[in-house]
Amino acid sequence: MMRITEGSAARGSLASLQSSASRLAILQGQLSSGRLITKPSDSPSGTSTALQLRAELSRMGQYQNNASDGLGWLTSVDTTLGSATDRMHQVRTLVLQGLNTGANDATSNEALAQQVDAARSSLLSLANTPYMGRPIFGGTTAGANAFNADGTYAGDTATVSRTVAPNTEVQINSSGTAAFGPNGDNVFDLLSDIAAKLRTDPSALGPDLDKIDAAQLRLSGQQALGGARYQRVQATQTAAVTTTIALKSQLSELQDIDLPTTAIEMATADAAYQASLATTAKIRQISLLDYLR
Amino acid sequence: MSSTFAGLTNAMAAISAQRYGLDVTGQNVANADTPGYTRQRAELAGVGPVAGVPSIYATPHASGGVTVTGTSRLNDPVVDGRARAEHGRNGTLQTSASTLSNVESLFNEPSDTGLADQLNEFWNAWSPVANHPDDLTARGVALEKAAGLVGSLNASSAALDRLTQGVTAQLTDVTGKISTAAGALAKLNGAMVQATASGINTNALADQRDVLLMQLADLAGAQTANQPDGSVTVTLGGQTLVAGTTANTVAVDSSNQVSVGGNAATTAGGVLRSLRESLTTVLPAYAAKLDGVAAALANSVNGLQQGGYDLSGAPGGPLFTGTTAAGLNLAATDPAKLAASATPGGNLDGSIAVKLSDLGKSATGGDAAYRQFVTGLGADVQNVTQQAAVQQAVTGSVDELAQSAAGVNLDEETSALLTYQRAFQASSRVLSTVDEMLDTLINRTGKVGL
Repeated sequence: MMRITEGSAARGSLASLQSSASRLAILQGQLSSGRLITKPSDSPSGTSTALQLRAELSRMGQYQNNASDGLGWLTSVDTTLGSATDRMHQVRTLVLQGLNTGANDATSNEALAQQVDAARSSLLSLANTPYMGRPIFGGTTAGANAFNADGTYAGDTATVSRTVAPNTEVQINSSGTAAFGPNGDNVFDLLSDIAAKLRTDPSALGPDLDKIDAAQLRLSGQQALGGARYQRVQATQTAAVTTTIALKSQLSELQDIDLPTTAIEMATADAAYQASLATTAKIRQISLLDYLR
Repeated sequence: MSSTFAGLTNAMAAISAQRYGLDVTGQNVANADTPGYTRQRAELAGVGPVAGVPSIYATPHASGGVTVTGTSRLNDPVVDGRARAEHGRNGTLQTSASTLSNVESLFNEPSDTGLADQLNEFWNAWSPVANHPDDLTARGVALEKAAGLVGSLNASSAALDRLTQGVTAQLTDVTGKISTAAGALAKLNGAMVQATASGINTNALADQRDVLLMQLADLAGAQTANQPDGSVTVTLGGQTLVAGTTANTVAVDSSNQVSVGGNAATTAGGVLRSLRESLTTVLPAYAAKLDGVAAALANSVNGLQQGGYDLSGAPGGPLFTGTTAAGLNLAATDPAKLAASATPGGNLDGSIAVKLSDLGKSATGGDAAYRQFVTGLGADVQNVTQQAAVQQAVTGSVDELAQSAAGVNLDEETSALLTYQRAFQASSRVLSTVDEMLDTLINRTGKVGL
């Protein structure tokens, strides 16, 4: 039989007090931090997963930023191409007027020519529209303009894209030559030509109507393409929000405490601690000396 | 026929024996809380007829009273030996657990302030550079994040170094304590041998000796062997630490080799072993893994940077120099010099920056290396902490066993007190009864009728 001695009794009660108190302290820490995993040793595999989820979440946030940036660019492309189409409409009307007026009224033809010139410079400035300091139709050019004043293309043919989801890059730019036509045969050449014809021989304007229609078709084609890209980016952005929510709940499930469970465990641990305090206080007081006179 | 005054001598012997018993009980009660005290018991023996006496002088039926034959020390040497062995193991595991926890506390993961999060931010900072390669602010942010990473890795490495220095200091401290305890034990050995030879009570000396032996077990897992002359021989890692009155000093050289009295000691237990292992294998291994993180980060980033072109179209240079956590540094200071474009000519291509922002997903990059490092560290800490908890329980239960044999129980002492008190009172009564009888015999004999 094991002898119980003053030393072992003290040690035993101290040990059980210690273990109750440390259990209480662990639960207290979990409750106050709200976390199950506060250091890697709490759950090594959980830590590994948590680190991966956090990295994933952080990337998701960045994808959404990239998408917002891309949407801004695409909006700018859309409005610019819309305005360009409007200008072309105006030019078409001017050409029709020129055709109707014929070669009789040089003054009014000059006025029409000046309006076409104005439309050309307006189109040129539209083609050089910048988004955050960078011409949106210039590809990856470092220059300030996509088109020179003489209407030649100054940009490059490289694509500009945004990473909007894991391994998903969406092209967001429309090449200047695709939207406004290739060098030598673009809208600026066309408008210069029209203005010249208005001043010299308005009757030769007939074939230019078809050319204007073709240029308008190019512009609206690129606008439609931009719209499709806009929808695609927007769809991925919505998907990214859903994914982010899923990741967050996964991370929370992994590293956060279940409040009611922990609170109940805490209450149980507290009761155990109090019970061991009470019994220690009671038992350690009793001695044979109490019963001897 | 017994002597007329035998009753008086017997009663006197009984009185002094009971008083001695009371003294021992008093000693036990006084030391109920003294660490290392082992309870004692007065050994009493009845005195029978003296052997070898010629039959006419022999007293066949009477007895010679009681005598104190000694004072026993009521420990259990086997359990004490086990307790020392378990304490040696416990010392190793508890120290390892605390050292590893200290390492773990240097890496605050998973959190919003750890290195993992800084890595995430660094990779994310490349996306704005990819989106707007001409934006110097975005490039500046990427450079700032890189500087932050460098700072954190340098700081972690320095903190690990400081921890290593702390453990080295602890090791020096522990070897000093071992040498001191060994010196004290050698002195006690001398006293024990003398006291044993001259038959003096050695219990108090033995208590002091056991405390020192336990200390040596805790610190170094030292092995103990009792010698017939009352001394103990202590060996540490295959070398003699204490023999008789000679104690050797324990030292640790710059390569963390433990030597006893100048001879290399092979394996030691206790705190000493844990500290030595930490310095020779555990801490260098973590430092190497942290260096691996720095190297993976620098190599993956530099590789992409050197394959790209900066804002002016010139070929990119390395972003980091150095491949250790302590030696990692920034090579670039000009945001415009960061390579974002995959093609020369000074265009605004961002495909290198896109690749950089994707490096966080790489299985061979710094992130994966760091994640493995943290997870491995966590698993190590968990493993050692659990082992230490089990060993603590085992050590506690063996201590309990040793205490059960050697500890003082006040109830027991109180009842012994009562027994001795009653026996003392009864012996006094015997004395006075014999005295009355003698009084009758001496003073009343021949006075019948007077």
